[in-house]
Parts: sequence; structure tokens; C-alpha cells
Amino acid sequence: MVQSILRCKNDSCLFVRCVSSFSILLILLSLVAFPARAIEVDELIRHIDALWRGETSQANMTMTVKTRRYARAMTMEAWSRGKEYSLVVIRDPIKDRGIATLKVEDNIWNYLPKINRVTKVPSSMMSGSWMGSHFTNDDLVKESSFEDDYDASISFEGARDALPIYELTFIPKPDAPVVWGKVVMMIEQQTLAPFKALYYDEEGLLVRTMIMDQPQQIGGRTIPMRMSLQPEDKPDESTVIVYNNIAFGVPLEAAFFSLQNLKRSR
Amino acid sequence: MKHDNLSSTVSRLPMLLFIAWRNVWRNPIRSILTISALAGGLVMVIFYAAMMDGMVRQMIFQATAISTGHLQVHRQAYIDDQDLYATLPWSYMEKIAQDFPEIALAPRLYAAGLASSANTSNGVMIRAVDPTREAQATKMLDQVRNGELDLGLADASKEGFPRYNLVIGAQLAKNMELLPGSELVLVTQAADGSIGNALFRISAILKPLDPNFDRMGVLMSIEAYQQLMYLQDGFHELVIRLDDVNQLEQVQAGLDQALQQLVSEQPLDELGGTPQARNWRQLVPMIADMLEISKSIVLIVGFIIIGLASMGMLNTMLMAVHERSHEFGILLAIGMKRRWLLLMVLFESFFLALVSALAGALLGLAVVGYFEQHGIDLSGTLPDGYDWGGIIFEPVMQVHLEIIDLFSACALMIIITMLSSLIPSWRTVRLKPAEVMR
Repeated sequence: MVQSILRCKNDSCLFVRCVSSFSILLILLSLVAFPARAIEVDELIRHIDALWRGETSQANMTMTVKTRRYARAMTMEAWSRGKEYSLVVIRDPIKDRGIATLKVEDNIWNYLPKINRVTKVPSSMMSGSWMGSHFTNDDLVKESSFEDDYDASISFEGARDALPIYELTFIPKPDAPVVWGKVVMMIEQQTLAPFKALYYDEEGLLVRTMIMDQPQQIGGRTIPMRMSLQPEDKPDESTVIVYNNIAFGVPLEAAFFSLQNLKRSR
Repeated sequence: MKHDNLSSTVSRLPMLLFIAWRNVWRNPIRSILTISALAGGLVMVIFYAAMMDGMVRQMIFQATAISTGHLQVHRQAYIDDQDLYATLPWSYMEKIAQDFPEIALAPRLYAAGLASSANTSNGVMIRAVDPTREAQATKMLDQVRNGELDLGLADASKEGFPRYNLVIGAQLAKNMELLPGSELVLVTQAADGSIGNALFRISAILKPLDPNFDRMGVLMSIEAYQQLMYLQDGFHELVIRLDDVNQLEQVQAGLDQALQQLVSEQPLDELGGTPQARNWRQLVPMIADMLEISKSIVLIVGFIIIGLASMGMLNTMLMAVHERSHEFGILLAIGMKRRWLLLMVLFESFFLALVSALAGALLGLAVVGYFEQHGIDLSGTLPDGYDWGGIIFEPVMQVHLEIIDLFSACALMIIITMLSSLIPSWRTVRLKPAEVMR
């Protein structure tokens, strides 16, 4: 912790400049109130990467997709273990019930109960829409590894609209198989909860915006329970995912995320 | 006086022709070598023209008869970004069929999807057709490479799920290791937003229709498409074949007018945009351009080949004139008119050119005739055909010779050789008898 403070001083961050004339006491006080103020980039990224995931997690969520032609809601149940394994099963509507998506490392499979078949999503379809939403298959696989695929830096630190935030800028590593040219994420300093992410293409044009809100305290972390994705080229369309509940530390073996279990998961 | 000159020249023409002909054969080996060089060049030009023409014909055939048709009707949003919802209602098709009884038309539907076999998955482009109407409008359904074309209901899968038949592109079949009889899973996003998925049986594999279809094309019946996609109320594309291609512009204008009227009678939703008819030149502009270019290419190549061959002719005639300068000197000295001498040398060149043209044309006809029968089989090196200007060709190249091309090649050769023979004949005119006879 002391190291962190020293680093902060060297960087002459806003916080230190403001309070340097005040007493140590005040610093200590503020450390209690805002324990992660003097945070490092790596730490921050790991925090973001693990935010909705934990070691293991189980969640129930509702996804609402709105397009120019239709609006539909899906209820899904999701499990994850580390960043390598996840499983999502659609519970509702009836037409799509039981359709499941399994992710193991960089592979995605879909299970289709109507025809009792498992299909693999090829890498060429990674930028395709996931379950008809504005999220891509790639979001499901690659989003979980900001740490591995991007070079991150804190591009802004301070108050914006009276809210102290960190702004992280992610630039893909040269060989990283990602679709974005740049991702900018805003994080509240106080809670370390992300509240906005901007996705740019390789030409630097804004492609989509994600708003994260309705934070809740779960397992000692502040987690935004609602994520709204807004594609820039279709202003009247959006996808909203709301976590109805999320639990961490659920006992889940790696074997749970297998093709056999994919078929059984309905 | 002038009239006298002319008539005296004309009266001597047969004699000049006779002498020229005899002169050609004074050195038979040299003449035959020259003739074979020129004839060989001509054969090459004729063959090249026939090959290009064969390709052009294949191109137009591929462009129109097989899949594109002469005209197509789409809505703007479909043209712009293949909007799934930019459909035209079925009543439009019935109305157009009524108003234009002389054209054959077929509706089509498209969608993007993911095809999976037991081992692999591949993104595909789903195309749905009405088999009866499609057969009237295009030859798409005749392009079967193996298997038997069937788009109807197939036997159920092992677990008893219903399956429709479908056909796929050759490259896709190869990439996914599929054969007629294999099972294929299609997953797509249906029109209502749900996950469309169904089992299919592959009944046949199609020859290349176009590079896209070959690589990622899946063809099914409209019935099967509607069950997969929940998209009932219309079609994306109307393909039209004309009996008389010369009426293309006329029918296109008529269609646009009819569509306008239909829109006013039976309005479409705003998002899909207005419908419009486009002809094959607009649909595949590459080919229309290519046709123009190929004509110029043949002409340029012809010039080069014959230009080179006529160098041989030039050499022969220069030699012939040079070694006979003594003889020409005597002729001039005993009163031969210079213009007759000029004519005689020109006639010699002309005979050489004429004999070469005859030999070249006959030989060219024989070569082209052979390949017209057999085609040029490239399947050894290119088993899957080749892609040229966005069109896939069968590995057996077709050759076709327009008789007009044969004559223009001969004419081109005679003109070029006669031009090059102006140099030696000019030399004879400028001979000074006193000098050369010394």
C-alpha cells in the first residue's frame, strides 16, 4: 500500500497534489474510504476482467434485444470458471429454450435442442452476432481477456462531471486476434465499477457504446447489474443485459464445461 | 495521255501478275519459309481470337443464363446491405407475371447462416429458389456436378427429425468434406429474432455458379427457407430471363414503370426502400467491361504477332530486290516503266501474303475445329476451374471462332505485309540503271 502511495506521488497524480499540504491523517482516512485510489493499471485490468466472473460464478440474466424490426427478451442462465470456461443456456422464450453456448478457451459451441446437435462456431464467425443480439461471439470469448490481448494505459485520471474516474485505453497487441482498433473504458474511482466503454474500429471510428449501471455490492465488489450496448450505425437499436442475480465462488469443476454436459444442460 | 497510261498498265496487268507469280517461286525455299512464318503467325492470331471469343461467350452465358438472368428486381435496402427484411410481397410477382407474359421470372430469397457438419463449421450464404420457376428462368439447377438435384423433403434423420434436401457449392463441399447424402446443420438468425436451426440432407453438389456461391453457397427450396427463417411474406430477388435480349432496355423501363405503379397501389414499408430493375450489365459490370477489353486485346495481340511475322516478309523481299537489282536495271534500260516495276514487286509481296493467308486460314480452321470439338482441357492443372474477372470457368476451355474474325485476321495480315513491302518496292523505283548495271 505504501508503495502504491509513493508511486502515486512520483506520478504527481491529482489526488496527491490536492492533499499534499494536508496531514497524513487525512490521507489515511481517505485510504480507508477509497481503498483503491492509488491503483496500478495491471491491477485495474485484472479487476475488470474478473468483475462479472470471480473464480467461479453463476448468474441469471435477461437480455433484451431491440432492433428496427422486432424487440425480444431472453432469459438466460450462465456459469463461468476462470476466464477459460463459460456456459450460457437460454431458459426463455420457449422457442429458443435449451439453446446453449459453451466456451472453452478460444472455442465456442452451440447446442441446439430442437435438432439435438452441437455445432462449433468457426473463428470466421467470431464477429457475428451472438444469439441475435448486438453482442458478438467474440465478445463472449475475447472480452474476457483484456489482460492478454490489449496494451492498457490510464489515459485520464480525475474528475469528470464531478465524478472521480479512471479512463483506461486499450490498444490491441500487434498479433492479438481482436476486432477492435481501440477500446476506452471509464471506471468510477470510488467503487472501481466500470460505467462506460467505447469501442472503436481500426480507422478510429466509434462503433458502439456500452453503458453499465445499476451497481450492486456482491461479494465485496461493486458490480454493474445492467449493460446496455448501443451500436453507433443503428441509433434505434440496442441490446440490454440485466443480471437478475449473480453468485460467486460456486463450486464448479472444469468437467462441468464439457460437450456432454452441454447436451444435458437443458 | 493519262487515259492512255492507265489502259496500257491495265492491259499489261496479266503479264505483270504472271511474272510476279513466277518470281515468287524463283527461290522456293525462301518463299516457303516466309509463307510458313506468316501463316504460323496467322494461325496464332486466329486461335487466340477463337479462345477469347470462347471465353467471352462462356462469360456471357455464365453471367446471364446460369444464375444472374437478364434482369433482376430488388429493393434498395437489399441492394445496399442485403437487408433480410427488404422483401417484395408475393402479390408483386403475380402482378408482374400477369403484365409481362413474355418473360420468364423466378423469385429468390437469401440469408446468412452457419453450416455445420459433424466435424466442421462454415459461414454460408443461404439461397432459396422455387424449383419450377427457377428452371424456366435460369439453368442454375442444371449445374449439378454430382448427386441428384432434389430440393424436396428428405427422409428423416436417425432420431426422427424432419429434414429437407439442399444443394451446395463445390468448394464448400470440399472444404467441409461433404458428399451427396451427408447431413448438414444450418443455424441462422430467423426474421423474428429467434435462433433458426434445422437439419438438412445434401442431395447434390453444384458446379461453380459464381465464386461466392462456390465457396459458401447453400441452395434450398423457398418452402424450407420459410420454415427455417420465419420469413413468409415476400422475396428478395426476382430473376428475369428474356427470350429476345434485344428488348432488354425496353423491358427494364417497362418493369420500373410497373413497379412504380405497384408501389403506389400497394405501399411497401419505408425501411426497405423502393424496388428497381437492373440489367445484367449493371449487376455484373465487370463482365460488360471485360467484353470491351477482350476485343481490344485480340486486336493488339494480332498486330504484334503479325507485325513480327511481317519482318520475315520484309527481309525476303529486300533480299529478292537486292539480288535482282542488276536484272531490274536491264529492264529499266530497255524501257520498262518504273511504276510497272513497282507494281510487279508489290504483286510478289501480295502473292506471298495471299498464299500465307490461305495456308494460315486453313490451318487455323483445322486447329480451331479440333479444339471446338474437344475443348482445351486444363483439368490436370486446374481441377476446380479458374476464376477470371469474378467468374468461375470450367476447367475445360471452350473455343469458338466467328467467321468474321477469321476474315479480319487475314485482312489484317495482308494489310500489314503489304505496308511493309512498300520499303523494298520503293527501292526498285529509285534504282539507277546505269549504276546497278555496272
